[in-house]
Amino acid sequence: MTTTNDSVTTVVIPKARAARPGTTPSPMPVPIPEPARPREISHAEKALAVGLTAIVLAVIGINISGYPMVNDDEGTYLAQAWAVAHGHGLAHYTYWYDHPPLAWIQLAGLSWLPGLLGSEGSTVATMGRVAMLPVVAAILLLIYLVSRRVGMAVWSSAAALVVFGLSPLTVVMYRGVYLDTFAVVWMLAALALVLSPRRNLWHFTAAGAATAVSLLSKETMLVTLPAVVLALWQHSARSTTRPWAIGGYVSGLTLVGVFYPLYALLRGELFPGEGHVSLVGAWQFQLASRAGSGSIFTDGSIAQGLLNSWLDHDPVILVGGLIATVVCLPVRRLRPPAVAGAILTLIALRPSGHLPVMYVVQLLPFFAIAIAGVLDLAVRLAPARQRWARPAALAALALIAATLVAPRWWTGNARAMHDNYHAEYVAAAQWLRTQVPDPKNTTVVADDVLWLECVDAGYPPEKAIWFYKLDLDPEVAARLPNGWRDVDYLVSTPALRGDSKTLTAVNTMLANSTVAARFGEGVGRIEIRRITKEIP
Amino acid sequence: MVGISDDRLELLVVLRAKVCGPHFWWRFPALLKGETLAAAVMIVSSVVLSAFAAITLWWTMHAWRTPETLAATRFAEPDGDHKLTFSLLLPARHEQAVLEHTVDRLLRSTHQGYEIIIIVGHDDPDTAAVAERIALRAPGRILVITDHNEVKNKPRALNTALPYVRGDVVGVFDAEDVVHPELLEHVDHAFRSTHADVVQGGVQLINFQSSWFSLHNCLEYFFWFRSRLHLHANKGFIPLGGNTVFVRTDVLRGANGWDGTCLAEDCDLGVRLSSRGAKVVVAYEASLVTREETPDTIGSLVKQRTRWNQGFLQVLRKGEWRRLPSMRQRVLARYTLVGPFLQAFSGVAIPVGVGVALATSLPIGVALATFVPVVPMLANIVFQTIGLRDFGKQYHLSVTARDYARLILGAFPYALILSVAALRAVWREYTGRRNWELTAHVGAHLQGNATAETTTAGAA
Repeated sequence: MTTTNDSVTTVVIPKARAARPGTTPSPMPVPIPEPARPREISHAEKALAVGLTAIVLAVIGINISGYPMVNDDEGTYLAQAWAVAHGHGLAHYTYWYDHPPLAWIQLAGLSWLPGLLGSEGSTVATMGRVAMLPVVAAILLLIYLVSRRVGMAVWSSAAALVVFGLSPLTVVMYRGVYLDTFAVVWMLAALALVLSPRRNLWHFTAAGAATAVSLLSKETMLVTLPAVVLALWQHSARSTTRPWAIGGYVSGLTLVGVFYPLYALLRGELFPGEGHVSLVGAWQFQLASRAGSGSIFTDGSIAQGLLNSWLDHDPVILVGGLIATVVCLPVRRLRPPAVAGAILTLIALRPSGHLPVMYVVQLLPFFAIAIAGVLDLAVRLAPARQRWARPAALAALALIAATLVAPRWWTGNARAMHDNYHAEYVAAAQWLRTQVPDPKNTTVVADDVLWLECVDAGYPPEKAIWFYKLDLDPEVAARLPNGWRDVDYLVSTPALRGDSKTLTAVNTMLANSTVAARFGEGVGRIEIRRITKEIP
Repeated sequence: MVGISDDRLELLVVLRAKVCGPHFWWRFPALLKGETLAAAVMIVSSVVLSAFAAITLWWTMHAWRTPETLAATRFAEPDGDHKLTFSLLLPARHEQAVLEHTVDRLLRSTHQGYEIIIIVGHDDPDTAAVAERIALRAPGRILVITDHNEVKNKPRALNTALPYVRGDVVGVFDAEDVVHPELLEHVDHAFRSTHADVVQGGVQLINFQSSWFSLHNCLEYFFWFRSRLHLHANKGFIPLGGNTVFVRTDVLRGANGWDGTCLAEDCDLGVRLSSRGAKVVVAYEASLVTREETPDTIGSLVKQRTRWNQGFLQVLRKGEWRRLPSMRQRVLARYTLVGPFLQAFSGVAIPVGVGVALATSLPIGVALATFVPVVPMLANIVFQTIGLRDFGKQYHLSVTARDYARLILGAFPYALILSVAALRAVWREYTGRRNWELTAHVGAHLQGNATAETTTAGAA
C-alpha cells in the first residue's frame, strides 16, 4: 500500500513497512474515482435547443384546434381534468380505474394556461390542446438532453429534436389531448435523470419517481421501463455507488407508484366485489376482456387501417426509425432508446391484441433519437484525418434530407396548419349555447367533446349525459325514470354513430328523433336531434 | 419541535372520539369544525414528519451521493513518514476482561511515536492490576494513571490524564476497542496533509448477528461514521465520536479538555471545538476502523442511548453552539442536537398515523397525506438493506436472509427502543438525574475470544 523508500529516510523513527504477522491485511488500493465529467450544457447550446423548440411549437401550435378532428378520447380526458379541477373527484362519472389518473390530474394543473377551462367562446380542442403545448415543449427539450447524454453531438441531438418535432405524424399526434403525452414526458425525464453525468444518488431516485409518474399517467408505458433500467445499469457501471443508485431508483419507483393501489385500498376498491368498481377488476378487464384490433398483417383489420393512416402522415419517421433502431441496438451507448423503440415495435407487431389510435405517440421520440443516433454514427465514420470529410458527410446528409424528406413534411405540415376539421363542432356547440331556450331544465345526450361544452353553456352536469353512460352506468340510467323519453336532445357525432351499434339506448334515440340542426355533410356531419317523446 | 407531539396527541384524542362515536361525522355539522381541524393537524404533522424524515435520509446518504463524495470520505494513502507523536488515552473501568487484548493491539501499531496512558479508578483494583501487569511489557511506552475523583466518569478520567500527555496529538480509545495497527500512520498523514486540528477515525460495531437489535445498532454506526459525520465535518459542526478521535494537544488544552459533568463529553468537545473554528477531518476506511461491540441486552442499549441523548440535551442547554459563526451552522447544530428526539418521535408517530388512517374513515386526500412520511421512511429501509450488504462485503462477513429479515422486521421495534431511550433521557434530565450509566462489555466483537467473561456494569 505504501512505497518503500527506506534508503532515503531522514526521520529518526524507523518506518514500519511490511505487515507484521497477525495483523489484518492492508486496505485495498483505493480505486481512482473517474473525474466528474463536466458535460454541462453551454448557453449557446441551450439557446439552440430552446430556439428549435420554439420553431416546432409554432408548427404544432398554429391551427391546433382545426386539425386533426377531435377524438372522443380527448373530450373524455379533458372532462376528467375538469372534474378534478372543480372538485368532483377523479372523473365526471364514477372513476372505474380504466387508467391511472395522474395524466388528467396534471392536465387539470395546466388548465389555467389557456384561461379557465371552458371559458366562453372556446372549444374543447382549443382549451385542451393548448394546455398540452408546455408538455410537448418539455418533450422536445428532453429529447435533446437525452440525445446529448447518450453521447451524441450537438448537431445530431438537434437533429433528433427536429426529426421528432417536424414529422407530420408528430404534429398530428402530439396536438391531441392524450395521456400518452404525459407518460412520454416523464419517461424521457427518467431516462435523462439516470444518464445524469454526475451520477448523483438523488438523480437516480428522482428517475425512479419520474418513472412511477409516467406509469401512473399511462400504464402501457411500462413496456419502455427496460430501456430506463438498462440505461441505469450501463451508466452506473464501474461506479462505487451502483448498488445505492439501484436502491434509489427502486425506492423512487415503488414508493411513488404504490400510492395508486393505496388509493384504491383506502377506498375499499382494490379487489373486485359486489356493487363497486375495483382496480384489480379493471386490470382483469384490460388484460383479458378487451376486444383486439387484429394484426397489422391482416388485410382489413383495424390495426392495419391504423398503421396505414400513420404511414400516410409520415412514412419517413416510421420506416427510418425502425431501421435506425435495429442499427442502434448493437451500439452500447445508443442501446437504451433503441430498446424502447424495439419493444414498442414488437408489441405493435404481435398477432392480436388492442392497438390504440395514440399508440404511436409513445414510439415517436425513441424512433427520432434512433434516427439521429444513426446519423451521428454515420458522420463519425467519416475519416477524421481529412478535414473536409465530416463537413462533407454533414452536407450530404442535409442534401438528402432537403430533397427526399423536406417536401413531404412541408406538404403534411402545411395541411396541419391550414385545414379546419373542427368547424362543425364549434357550430354545434354554438347552437346548443344559443338556440336551446332553457338549458337548465334540458337533458342532452352528447359525446365527451361536446359534454364539456354543454356544461359550460349552462346545462347542469347531471343533465348533460355522455352517450356511453346511458347503457353502461346504472347510476346514470337511474337518473332517467322514463328512460330515453326523459332526454330532450341527442347530438349525433361521428364518435357516437361509430359506437351506437352496441349501445341500445343510443340506437333507440337515433330512431326516435328528428334533426333539429345539421352541421357539415357526410360521415363527419354533426346532427342535433330532438327526441320524439310521443309513442307513434 | 415539541409542538408536533402536542398536535399529534390532540389529533389522536380527536380521532379516538370519532372512532368511538356511533355516528359518522359528516352528519353532524357541529363536529365538522373539529374534523376539519383534525384533518388540518394530520396534514401539517404529515408535512413536518415528511420533511424531517427526508432531511435525515438526505444527510444519512451523504457519502453515497456521487462516486466523488464517496471517494472523498476515505483516508488518503500515507506517505510513510512518522512526524507526529501520539498520546493514546485509554480509560478503563471494570474492564479487566478486555483491556489486555486492546493494549496488545495498540502495541502492534506500525507507527513508532506513541505512548499509551491507561487510566484506572482508585476503587477498581482488578482493572488496575491488569493495567500494571501489561505496563511491565512495554516500559516507557505504557503509563498507568489512577483517577482519584470521587465521582467516576469518562471525561473526568480523560482530564486526569491530560497533564501527563507528552505527544503532539491526543487520541482516545475505549478499553474494549480493537484498533488497527496501521491506523496511527494514516492519522499522522491525515493531520499533516490536511492541517487539521481534529481527525475522527471510523468506529464500527461488528457483532451484528448477536441479536436482532445488534444488527440495527451496527447499521446505525455504519451509516453514522461511514456517511453522516463527513457531512458534519464539511459543514463545520460536528458532534465527535467517543473514541478513535485525535486532537492536537495544544488545541485540546486550549479548550480546557473535556467537560467532566457532561454525559456526552465527545459530542460536547466536538461542539466546543467547532465553535472555536477548529478544522475537523473525518476519514473512514473499512479495514482501519476501530471495532467495538454492541450492548448485550436491550436494557443496556437503552441505558447507553439514554446517556447519549441526555448528553445531547445537556450540550444543547449549554449553548456553546450559539457561538458558531454562521446561521446555517447554528441551525444545523440545533437540529442535530434535537435530532435523536425527533427521530425517536417520528419513528413511532409515522406508523401510528398510518394506523389511524387505515382504521378510521378519513377523507381520502387526508388519508393519503398520512402516508407521505412513510415514503422516506421506507426508502431508508431500502438503503439500509443495501447498507447491510455493503457492510457485509466491506467487513468480509456473510449476511444471510435471516439478517435481512431482522433488518426489515426489526425496524419498528428498534424505533420503539430509541423512543423509550429518548423519553427516558428527557425524564432523567428534567428530574436532575445526571449520573453515568456504564455499558457492560463481554467481548462479543473479539473473534474467537474464548475467555470473554461478563464484567460488572457500573450501573447506577
